Amino acid sequence: MTISAERPVATSGGATTTTERVSWTQRPGIWSQHLGTAIVGAIVGYLLGHWLGNAIASSYPYVQNSGQNVIAVTLGEIFGVAGWLLGIGALNYPLAKLTGRQPAKEVDVQGWSKYFRYSTNHKTVGLQYVVGVLLFLFTGGLLAMAIRTELLNPTTHYFSADTYIKIVSEHGTVMMMMATSIVVGPLGNYLVPLMIGSRRMAFPRIEAFSFWVFTAGYMVIFSALPLGGFPTGWTGYAPLQTQAGPGMIGYLFGFAVIGMGMMAAGFNMAVTIINYRAPGMTWSRVPILVWSLLATSALLTLATPTLFAAGVFGLLDKTAQTAFYVNEHGGSAYLWQNLFWFFGHPEVYIMALPGFGIVGEILPVFTRKPLFAYKVGAAGMIGVALLSFFVWQHHLYQSGINPDMRPLFMLTTELISIPTGFIYLVGMGTLYKAKIRFEIPMLFALALYFNFLIGGVTGVFLSDVPVNVTVHGGFFVLSHFHYTIMGGLLFAFMGGLYYWLPKMTGRMLNKKIGLWHFWTMFVFFNLTFFPMFIIGLLGQPRRVFTYAKNLQGLNDFSSVSAFLLGFSFLIFAFNMVYSLWINPQKAPANPWDSRGLEWQTANPVPSYNFERIPVVLSDPYRYSEPGAPAVADLGDAGLVHAAPQD
Amino acid sequence: MAKVEQGYISTPEEEEFELRAHIGSVWSGGRLFIGMYTFLLASLAYTYFYLRSSNSGNLWRPNHMTAPMSFGWGIVLATALAAVLAVYGQWRFRRGGVADWQVAGWTALALLLGALMLQIWELTKLPFYPGASGYASSFIGWGVFNIATLIVSAYWVETTLARGMRLRTEIGGDRPTLSTHPSAQSFRANVASMTYFMGFVGVGAAFFFALFYLI
Ligand code: HEM
Repeated sequence: MTISAERPVATSGGATTTTERVSWTQRPGIWSQHLGTAIVGAIVGYLLGHWLGNAIASSYPYVQNSGQNVIAVTLGEIFGVAGWLLGIGALNYPLAKLTGRQPAKEVDVQGWSKYFRYSTNHKTVGLQYVVGVLLFLFTGGLLAMAIRTELLNPTTHYFSADTYIKIVSEHGTVMMMMATSIVVGPLGNYLVPLMIGSRRMAFPRIEAFSFWVFTAGYMVIFSALPLGGFPTGWTGYAPLQTQAGPGMIGYLFGFAVIGMGMMAAGFNMAVTIINYRAPGMTWSRVPILVWSLLATSALLTLATPTLFAAGVFGLLDKTAQTAFYVNEHGGSAYLWQNLFWFFGHPEVYIMALPGFGIVGEILPVFTRKPLFAYKVGAAGMIGVALLSFFVWQHHLYQSGINPDMRPLFMLTTELISIPTGFIYLVGMGTLYKAKIRFEIPMLFALALYFNFLIGGVTGVFLSDVPVNVTVHGGFFVLSHFHYTIMGGLLFAFMGGLYYWLPKMTGRMLNKKIGLWHFWTMFVFFNLTFFPMFIIGLLGQPRRVFTYAKNLQGLNDFSSVSAFLLGFSFLIFAFNMVYSLWINPQKAPANPWDSRGLEWQTANPVPSYNFERIPVVLSDPYRYSEPGAPAVADLGDAGLVHAAPQD
Repeated sequence: MAKVEQGYISTPEEEEFELRAHIGSVWSGGRLFIGMYTFLLASLAYTYFYLRSSNSGNLWRPNHMTAPMSFGWGIVLATALAAVLAVYGQWRFRRGGVADWQVAGWTALALLLGALMLQIWELTKLPFYPGASGYASSFIGWGVFNIATLIVSAYWVETTLARGMRLRTEIGGDRPTLSTHPSAQSFRANVASMTYFMGFVGVGAAFFFALFYLI
């Protein structure tokens, strides 16, 4: 069906004034559910679960022998998360459904309080996610500062070896959790409906659920610290996992909880993109960010269940005394490695693809050129997503896999660099002979290409078995993945924030402060991590709090740069506070002159996004093309009708 | 699906568009959910075969230890029968047999709850301890996954049945099988997705029964 360009006259009445039941999560005043009730729910739940665990298991011999009741901790965590979800109102509708009821009416709560509630408005959820992922990022960043402080000196220690590895583990895990959701959550939820011409996401309650589960995951993973931390790094390898104390529960359950959020977010995103594209939004007109999020959603939905299963098995090993990962009892420590990396490698692309989607949106706007080889880019993303399921064993080259398997996985890994290369070349082709407007989003996009080149090329080296054997487990690998994740995804995310926050908040971020932010972040990122390649080649292993004396100079250089890199994030935080609250500057409706559909709606975006469901007429990248049609017909709503043309 | 919310007005064409999108979402969401669940269960199957083939310390399955057969048969038969009833129910539903569908649905629900009870009970009656072998561990894993699967299935069946009962009054006494009312159309899409999932659950139960009890 299509919606004809001649708009029929509206038939339904005006705004609703019904007296329907209003959801508890939306009621005004204290008789409603919000962050406060969620916190109470989580605390009560934790205490209840812990008490139950003690009542059940405190007499078990292994609990008495170890002096640690992991069952009480696990039940505490499970009940705590359940209490959190119950308190925020996530379970209201699922429970009411048992009686066959339709959901209670959702009204848009106005004002600040909506951000502390179980909102089903995708724009509110998007902004909630912005704050959520920044919270992850900043706390993970503080842990990074602690790591670099310890590495200032190989002999004078601030932390014990044990504390150091726990800080590294927490840093790595928190950052990885954050990175899985950093684009899908904030930008995906906010922008995808606007970009595809929809008034909503397919399943608003699942969208809200994904955010509140994500926040629960944050608390669970941080609960690992008071529980004694975990010594396994972010990869959680057995047998260390099996031997670790109750902090390991925070890791295993944390990944399971975050995994639920990832699955929910990916599920909702994929279904929305497939079904809610406006008339005329054919697959060849779908914005590249949406393509990247579709590919990412496929990975989120299909790879994450394996992580979830692996986490559940780990929890069973610790609580029910199964032996999935215990060699001596018929299990296998390698099983964890296989399950973890079957998820873990697609995870790498969960983190890479959305970054390329963001810069794919930014480049055409600031070069005023169409996106080069758009279809190749979209196909490349799908190709990467498919191939990413067949490469996981390259993480096990050193773990004693059957050596005959190595060439196979070396081949698949090198194969995946082909579609990745295509995606990269789409950017290069767009930049070719372009007259670039060096606005801040564009600077971040260019930085991604610079950083990812280094991260990507070193990745091709690492896929090679002989090189891998030499540098495995050292700072070379560490630097490689910081270059791809931080240098790629995080730079893209920052570019995306500068680019889209004016739409999301109605405020421009200050350019001068933004330039300071960009240059400090770019320069000190490279000065922090490039020396780590050299440090790695000179033999410094990961996860160890000391190193050879002759490496101190390079380490100190890296640490000081890291502190300045940390400072660049403070500049960013200051810019947010300054531009949004201290000296807010109203953003024009379309500050970058973009053809993107998301920029064609009113500013601020009304809760229903589009007065009329748009009819999409062309793809959003036809810049500088004489006579290019407007991107969409937005009907008779008096909104911005035609996209600006060059 | 009348959209007269939050101060915006939908044209009939837009309402139709949103309804189609919604039904498509229920349809594709149902299939995607099965895809996700397949990966979850495949992780368990992988675990089974991985531990079986690595046979660490010859402890994959000493003395061919097996979970109690009677429980196994009870659980798989109840689950498979529930799946068959769901499929049969939908076949009747499509032909207008709403009452048949309901009877089949409530029976399927009872069977699922029965299977759930048996599964929990079985875990308390195992002739081996959880860490006794690779098989024992995988079996506990299956027990936990099966409990989750049975709860999810029972929930989906129950909520669909309950919705079906309320729906009739909502759509003015029409038959949900025939009505063009948006709620009825959405309901039919949900019934179809639920039935697919039940079919999947039945096949999964049979597959894991074969793995853990027969071979
Ligand atoms: C200010 C920024 C950052 C600095 C200075 C930093 C520094 C470090 C250092 C020095 C280590 C290794 C410690 C060791 O093995 O002894 C490390 C580990 C790690 N970092 Fe970062 N990092 C930063 C940001 C990030 C970001 C943004 C991510 C991901 C999105 C990330 C992910 C990881 C991971 C996964 C590990 C591995 C932990 C493990 O060994 O299990 N880091 N980081």
